[in-house]
Amino acid sequence: MEEYNSGEEVSFNADEASVSVKEMLDCVVFLADWLVSVSQCIEGIIGGLDYNQNKVNQWTASIVEHSLTQLVKQGRPFKFIVNCAIMQKSGAGLHTANSCYWDTATDGSCTVRWENRTMYCVV
Amino acid sequence: MDEFQLSEETAFVVDDITTIIQDTVETTIGSSAYQQNRINQWTSSVVETSLNQLSKLGKPFKYIVTCIILQKNGAGLHTASSCFWDNTMDRSCTVRWENKTTYCIVCVFGLAV
Repeated sequence: MEEYNSGEEVSFNADEASVSVKEMLDCVVFLADWLVSVSQCIEGIIGGLDYNQNKVNQWTASIVEHSLTQLVKQGRPFKFIVNCAIMQKSGAGLHTANSCYWDTATDGSCTVRWENRTMYCVV
Repeated sequence: MDEFQLSEETAFVVDDITTIIQDTVETTIGSSAYQQNRINQWTSSVVETSLNQLSKLGKPFKYIVTCIILQKNGAGLHTASSCFWDNTMDRSCTVRWENKTTYCIVCVFGLAV
């Protein structure tokens, strides 16, 4: 009997339903903040630079690491995948698409597009 | 013996997935030249068909498929990805394909459920 605590802790809490809406909004805010911090990170790493074949490896690695660290720091119960593509501006056509087979209630994605004079960056 | 077979059926088999993706891209783009007005259709078709084929495998994974199609004209393209997941169960594989005028890069990420 002592193990069974007061009924309040096990009874249905009507507020639980609104908690899931709050959580969703919370996630939206979280992603929006992340979008801003990734844009700032890209600006910080390749901001005023021209496309440089020798350095692009290093740039993509820095961008994905920094972006992932920002996500993980939030301590959310999610697995994360961060993808970064840097392309030289030379008139070539580039098209990217992604498709996901997951739980639409809990999983989501977002994309950041950035460019300067000589390159495009998509995260 | 049964346990081994069970893990085969629930594992992310890179070779099978690579074959599926290569066939999908070959069927969708094949030897066609890069065409700006068809590119939208190609990328959508590649990711949708790949995802369909992957889900038909019936394995306990969530999948993310990304496709990049790039016109060959000397431009440099660099992609990287970093993942925060379960190292023992989750996997990814990348398939690079090209024809005379186009590069196509497809990444598949499999996250164990």
